[in-house]
Amino acid sequence: MRLSWPQLLIVIALLIVILVELRTVLAFFEIHLSVTATAVLAVVVIGALVLWTVLSSADRSE
Amino acid sequence: MSNTFVDAYPKQARIIRQAFLTSFIALAIGAFFGLIQALHRTNILRAIESPTYYTVLTGHGVFLVITFTIFFLVGVYQWAVTESLERGPVDMRFTWGWYGLMLTGTMLAAFAILAGFTDAIDVSADVLFTFYAPLQGHPIFYIGLVVFVVGTWLAGADWFRTWLAWKGENPGKRIPLPTFMVLTTMIMWYISSIGVAVAILAFILPWSIGIVESINPTLTRTLFWYFGHPVVYFWLLPAYLMWYILLPKLSGGRLFSDPLARVVFILFILLSTPVGIHHQYLDPGIAEGFKYIAMTNTMFLLLPSLLTAFTVVASMEHGARQRGGKGYFGWLKALPWREPAFTGMALAGMVFAFGGFTGIVNAGMNINYLVHNSLWVPGHIHTQVGTAVALTFMAGSYWLIPQLTGNRLVGRGIALFQVVLWFVGIVIMTNAMYRGGLIGMPRRTAEPEYEGFNYEVAAGSVGELNAQVALGGTLLFVSTMIFLALMILTLFNGESEPIDNRTIPAPLSGPEDSPPVLDNLKLWVAIAAVLVVLAYVIPLASIVSRGGLFGPDIGPFPVFVEPVSLLIETVLVSIGW
Amino acid sequence: MKIHTYEKLWLVASLVLIVGFIATITYGSVALGITMVGDEEPTIEPDEISDDERFGEPRVEQVGENEYEAYVIAQTFIFQPETIEVPADSEVTFYVTSRDVIHSFSVVGTNTNTMVIPGEISTLTVEFDEPDEYGIVCNEYCGDFHHTMEGQLHVVPEDEFDMTELAVEADDEVEIDDDATFEVAVENRQLEALETTVALEIGDETLEEDVTVDSQMTEETTFTVDSADLGEGDHDWTVTVDDYEESGTLTVAEDLEDEDGNEDGDEGDGGDDGDNETDEEGDTDE
Ligand code: HEM
Ligand SMILES: [Cu+2]
Ligand SMILES: [Cu+2]
Repeated sequence: MRLSWPQLLIVIALLIVILVELRTVLAFFEIHLSVTATAVLAVVVIGALVLWTVLSSADRSE
Repeated sequence: MSNTFVDAYPKQARIIRQAFLTSFIALAIGAFFGLIQALHRTNILRAIESPTYYTVLTGHGVFLVITFTIFFLVGVYQWAVTESLERGPVDMRFTWGWYGLMLTGTMLAAFAILAGFTDAIDVSADVLFTFYAPLQGHPIFYIGLVVFVVGTWLAGADWFRTWLAWKGENPGKRIPLPTFMVLTTMIMWYISSIGVAVAILAFILPWSIGIVESINPTLTRTLFWYFGHPVVYFWLLPAYLMWYILLPKLSGGRLFSDPLARVVFILFILLSTPVGIHHQYLDPGIAEGFKYIAMTNTMFLLLPSLLTAFTVVASMEHGARQRGGKGYFGWLKALPWREPAFTGMALAGMVFAFGGFTGIVNAGMNINYLVHNSLWVPGHIHTQVGTAVALTFMAGSYWLIPQLTGNRLVGRGIALFQVVLWFVGIVIMTNAMYRGGLIGMPRRTAEPEYEGFNYEVAAGSVGELNAQVALGGTLLFVSTMIFLALMILTLFNGESEPIDNRTIPAPLSGPEDSPPVLDNLKLWVAIAAVLVVLAYVIPLASIVSRGGLFGPDIGPFPVFVEPVSLLIETVLVSIGW
Repeated sequence: MKIHTYEKLWLVASLVLIVGFIATITYGSVALGITMVGDEEPTIEPDEISDDERFGEPRVEQVGENEYEAYVIAQTFIFQPETIEVPADSEVTFYVTSRDVIHSFSVVGTNTNTMVIPGEISTLTVEFDEPDEYGIVCNEYCGDFHHTMEGQLHVVPEDEFDMTELAVEADDEVEIDDDATFEVAVENRQLEALETTVALEIGDETLEEDVTVDSQMTEETTFTVDSADLGEGDHDWTVTVDDYEESGTLTVAEDLEDEDGNEDGDEGDGGDDGDNETDEEGDTDE
């Protein structure tokens, strides 16, 4: 694994937090992300992160 | 043989455990009330009548920012003094005495507040934790507050006494850093809590009992804020103590600079008090000039926090490099993220830095007009005391409670999840609070959606903001419950291995690098007194000369009979009487 | 004292930041003239508010060409006046005081926001460029129904704004062949004189009269209608002045004494309670 489980947990939390705040910041620049769009984005980004972490560990263990 | 705090100082460990227990009970009730608020305001679940909301809100404020924080503070400070002076108090009976006073005060105030839920007892105090006159609570509420504050004064006296005894045994030695932090915090507390003591003893209490007829609302309000700003540092400084003392150790290293830590705490003595008028930028009857002075002082008060940010990050980096961390940012990976105590404090520090910026917005008097008393303010409150302080306390407990009980922490992985959950919950809740505040949604309001107008939401909708507050609030509540469950399990855990070693490594740059004048507490008290006099004498004199010492003749507005009589009135009117 | 180089840099940067903040805010208040609520106003005894020249009757006053003053009272749990109306492109100074506890006067979503403390008068001067409608809330907890305390601020287009007040005193009923009188009072609280037409419509008759009402004055107009022309029965009437309207019903009867319970057939000052008296505060149709 590229990240340990605790590290992964924390990076996910940071991503959620960054997305929540980013959405507000973007709104100031008149870019409006809907709740659904944000949620989808979150799932995609976090999913990618998890895959990246877990798959890389599989690579190494083989 | 294990070497925990409780092994070395069993008697002291006992009282610290007591203080934490009280603190956590307050946290439990406060968090439950917080959940009710988060669901009620947003009209997601209204389990109570809206007038009762204010009873809940009073409880939330008092139990969390008075009981939870300050009982935790006395616990940590008792630990810090004992550990760093390597001795207990001169007389433990005195120590139990102040604890007893604080507890008595809390019970009295809690009784007055909670009695507001029932009509069976003619007592209540729905005055919120700021208790602005002419709103009037039951005298028991004010008496409770005073007794509590006197208890904290005696706690401070106890620590000074312990230090003097230590000084006699160790002539010529520098004050150990943790004790230095405790003593400076208490000096700040003595200077500032006089304000609230005078407000209650000289004006509000006699008026609530009926000895004096009237009150000057601006005067009691100003005295409250004279105390109200420093009190936020009273919550914060124990968290700072843990960031300076525990966090570097938890990171695997040592504190970067002892002298700078001392400077920071001295700056708090000097600058915490002469800023309170920044809470009154919108008050009529106070000249703009005084508000301007408060603003400049407030900005300088950023300095100790900015310095702390540096020291804390530098110490963490040092620790990470000791643990083999490399690279510009690569060292971050080497930090002990699996430790809930470490991670909780690090996340709390991050939220604090963010909240600091919102604090600068509040402090800027022109922008303040936009956000004053809007939901923005609870947004700020929850990032600062609600997270920087509360999350640090919870994280610190994961390290301290094993020290105080000799029991290994139960569920380290769950504890890690708990602090991370708090972090996510707080950001979700406060983000919506900040945004709600910017569109003008008021705080302290049971039903913030009005009949006559709609909010102009820049992004999203009111419904979405509400959902976010409710979701964040629920996550926070769940997180609190997990924390408390782990605490209970740890308390009854029979295992005692492994528990972290309790020695705190010496700072990289020790006290010998700082001039001894830093330890001259009398000097700092004198300078602080001068600054307070400069900042407050003229405004107070002007307030008294405008409104009189006891104010104009306004009838009291007893919140403690009003709900009942109004309710009866409403009922009578509605059935057509 | 030993201070690390990075620490020194950080310290200097922090101080620069702090001084920068102070400078920005100072610039905002001195150069841009952003002011705060201060202590310019004298204090006021809360229980003498009702006799006060300004607060006795909470209202909006015109004090200059585009300048207005609004006298507002906050009390549990209402604002007086509940709706404040001012024209666009004007400068309005709000004077707000409290009758009981601490409240706030906060125009939602703007920085027009002040605490309202009993004994003190808060003043805020605001420029309104565009027509708009705002909510006003009390954002300081003031008691158990605090959440119901709200008001409104209407900024209306300049040409729709006036401070006219219309009051009509009219007979309720007259005996056939008697004259029915309509006393119409038009008050103009603006600084400019008001030139307008007062019109009375009754039955299929329309009576009109042009009036000029000087600033701060009230003009009285009396219309007299011969009830014989109307005939026996109920007749609806309407008095209009610009956008204001008052209406009522006049009963013309054969013999008034027949009407049960009403001895108030004769005209004159004593007959006030028999009159149809209406008084409407100026409000404009948007
Ligand atoms: C369980 C988590 C919590 C939830 C769900 C929560 C929720 C809320 C909400 C919704 C409000 C706004 C009420 C209003 O203005 O109408 C509020 C106010 C407040 N909260 Fe919390 N809170 C929580 C934890 C905390 C903690 C840990 C602290 C401090 C240690 C805290 C301190 C405060 C304070 C000081 C206020 C302002 C009270 C007042 O205006 O009188 N809260 N809370
Ligand atoms: Cu403050
Ligand atoms: Cu209110």
